[in-house]
Amino acid sequence: MSDSVTAPPGEVVVRLRDIGKTFPGVVANHDVNIDVRRGTVHAVVGENGAGKSTLMKILYGVQKPDSGTIEIGGEQVSLSSPADAIAAGVGMVFQHFMLADNFTVLENVVLGAEKLHGIGDEARRRVLELATTYGLEVDPDVLVEDLGVGARQRVEILKVLYRGAKVIILDEPTAVLVPQEVDELFDNLRELKAEGLAVLFISHKLDEVLSVADDVTVVRRGTTVDTVPAGSVTSRQLAEMMVGSELPSPATETSTVTDEVVLDVQDLTLTVLGGERKLLDGIDLTIHRGEILGIAGVEGNGQAELVEAIMGMRSTATGRVTLAGADLTGRSTRERREAGIGYVPEDRHRHGLLLDAPLWENRVLGHQTRRPVVKGPLVDRAGARADTQRIVEEYDVRTPGIDTLARALSGGNQQKLIVGREMSGDPVLLIAAHPTRGVDVGAQAAIWGHIKRARRDGLAVLLISADLDELIGLSDTISVLLRGRLVRSFDPEHVTPEDLGSAMTGAAEGDVR
Amino acid sequence: MSLVTAPRLAGKRRVTPGRVLLVVVALTVLLSLLRVLTGADDLASSGTLRATLVAAVPIGLAGLAGLWSERAGIVNIGLEGMMILGTFGAGYFGYFYGPWQGVLGAILFGALGGLIHAVATVTFGVDHIVSGVAINIIAAGAVQYLAALTFTGVRGGGQTQSPPIDALPAISIDALSDPLGELEAKNWFFVSDGAAVLRALVTNLSVLTLIAILLFVLTWFVLWRTSFGLRLRSVGESPASSESLGVNVIRYKFVAVLISGGIAGLAGGFLALVASSTFREGQTGGRGYIGLAAMIFGNWRPGGLLAGAGLFGYTDTLRLRGGGESIHGLLLLVAVLLVGLAVWQWRKAARTAAIVSGVMGVLVALWFLLSDSIPEDLTGMTPYVTTLLVLALASQRLRPPAAAGQTYRKGSAG
Repeated sequence: MSDSVTAPPGEVVVRLRDIGKTFPGVVANHDVNIDVRRGTVHAVVGENGAGKSTLMKILYGVQKPDSGTIEIGGEQVSLSSPADAIAAGVGMVFQHFMLADNFTVLENVVLGAEKLHGIGDEARRRVLELATTYGLEVDPDVLVEDLGVGARQRVEILKVLYRGAKVIILDEPTAVLVPQEVDELFDNLRELKAEGLAVLFISHKLDEVLSVADDVTVVRRGTTVDTVPAGSVTSRQLAEMMVGSELPSPATETSTVTDEVVLDVQDLTLTVLGGERKLLDGIDLTIHRGEILGIAGVEGNGQAELVEAIMGMRSTATGRVTLAGADLTGRSTRERREAGIGYVPEDRHRHGLLLDAPLWENRVLGHQTRRPVVKGPLVDRAGARADTQRIVEEYDVRTPGIDTLARALSGGNQQKLIVGREMSGDPVLLIAAHPTRGVDVGAQAAIWGHIKRARRDGLAVLLISADLDELIGLSDTISVLLRGRLVRSFDPEHVTPEDLGSAMTGAAEGDVR
Repeated sequence: MSLVTAPRLAGKRRVTPGRVLLVVVALTVLLSLLRVLTGADDLASSGTLRATLVAAVPIGLAGLAGLWSERAGIVNIGLEGMMILGTFGAGYFGYFYGPWQGVLGAILFGALGGLIHAVATVTFGVDHIVSGVAINIIAAGAVQYLAALTFTGVRGGGQTQSPPIDALPAISIDALSDPLGELEAKNWFFVSDGAAVLRALVTNLSVLTLIAILLFVLTWFVLWRTSFGLRLRSVGESPASSESLGVNVIRYKFVAVLISGGIAGLAGGFLALVASSTFREGQTGGRGYIGLAAMIFGNWRPGGLLAGAGLFGYTDTLRLRGGGESIHGLLLLVAVLLVGLAVWQWRKAARTAAIVSGVMGVLVALWFLLSDSIPEDLTGMTPYVTTLLVLALASQRLRPPAAAGQTYRKGSAG
């Protein structure tokens, strides 16, 4: 590195003290203390919404902390923009890649750092040199849009290295990777720490954390609980520290499963448009009245496609879908919803809400053929408003009123509104895709409560989640989806997150460790 | 398959002098063939080509203005309005102070329009189309008012037009122009047409045309070879990435739209100073929109834009030269192109599209064979029909800047 690191091995390069950050109505972080040593991979673990990402954005200057101090390389710094952080030697790889697709790798890497080596041949040489040193193979002259996810991540890491970063933050880097790519990434990380860099690794996947990290800091409800050496804990102990006693548990009560089949899916198959690769391969599943079926899997193994095929959003899917005895094969999404499917989509901003419409208009969405929100061909304003008011009260949606725009609500309240809407109109099946992703702890507990109530009321529930504790706690049965196939089923009473994790990555590849 | 390979091809298709020469020669051969086959001599006369150059420059400049702004992610449908402002700027400063001051005035007035667009879209996050259309309407009204105020009662001027403005210098190389003219008159296949092309370039070439061509080269260099250009393009592709790397997104967008306005103003100035020698109301005649179409045709790149501007300028010229006969000749070209397209689509297994193109091609061919000329009512539509056709056929493989038309707010990174 041109920027030689001054601290001897093992010395603390990043010291966070009493960091606090408040957003309107939400305390994102308080009393955060972290020491990161050079030449180590330091993992920060915590549940979704625990405040990990906000913390890292503070360290990268995207957000400014309300209180506390940041020391980098022994000097106290004030970071008010990413440019400040870069100058201080901090680089960040965001969870959603920050790359311009129509630019070449080289252009993406040098953008913003043109002063270092220009934008021409000298820069290209430097990029290739870095790529060789750290084993980050990538061709500088291809367009980023032609690259796969793993290669894009390497470009992101190159970007950070090119700026001479001493500290690299990786925000949930494995969420988008397939197992082989995860292994490659971890090899890269080991190279980085061998070269004397400090890597901050954000994750909620404990097995991965234990396999790559040297130190682990646990974050819970916005604050750091403890920092421990990775060698001295098991993932079970980490999970306990993450969840803590103060958190509500997702665990369900006594079984309410009946033998009455609600959803029956036979041989559901979906092929890539114009290709051979199968996104879904011969899926068979049944869900009974009062049963929650959990689907576990690494993201990108067919979860989204499964839900969309059942909802009729993928017209090329083949196979039979039967709901409470009625054959839904070939029916449109609206007909399926009318037949009694409630759907909490994975991405509430893209598929769940009109962000710039008031709450009561959002209540009409997906129910535009059904009472009480329409009367004949017309929207029943009064009916829709009254029913929205009911949802706001019953589901504890914290909002100034039903004329508020959906955008103004916090993620948790938006999600509660969606759950309330989808539970309207007496559904028999509820599909919940990542229902508590990115919502705060209170809303998470509330949404868990609503799902449990739906189960008690005799709905069949299909639950997709990346949060293994949520799956184990709520589900009556868990099936693992791997490369488009349901590979194994587990009884949640006798399964640990570790078992699930190894099934999710495929027994053939063995454990990540 | 094509999704993956297409951008790579585009990336490799570098503009080299050799390739440019090749394209020019190929076009000349095509034109000579068409001229010989159809007997429409005006298709490739130096007069037509010179007029094409004059018609293409304002369209090309308008497109270049659009390119600057869209590359930074701001859709600029207000080009027309900025051109209108430019025509008045040229008229006012050109008449009262002199032609070069007219050029500066045109740029200044256009940049003023750009400033309004930048404040509206970048600072206040107004929808780009709404702001652009508003600028078009306001510019037309403001110029009408200002023209009536300044030129009423001035000798040779009036409510809707300025008195004649002194001409900008033009370059003629007689030593080349005359012999080339003789060669052209011989009507030899290819040789005469090549002579016509060269003669158009060395006879009475306005300095402003040269400046316009230089601006194209300069734009390419600045946007694709400097770090300023890299940053400017990055805010149009992925502003969140740019900001996460410390680029001041708002400032770059602002600068881009200001430059865009200035160039659009210059396009208007060209109309007032070179294409005619007065400011007249309604002088732009929708060229701002055609410029935008040329930019889209050119896939948001200067080289392609130049080709688009040439095409539109050429068809516009044929129309103006009363070329019922010339445009009739073009029908043959269209027919051949359509049939070619049909064959290509058929091989790509797009059967329905292939049949539609094929049938259209045959119909156009029949029209060509069964008539001698095109009614004047139709020739007037040529540039607009060309715009429609070209956009409909070409728009499938285009790659606009990814964030064009989106409002960016500071702090959206991460």
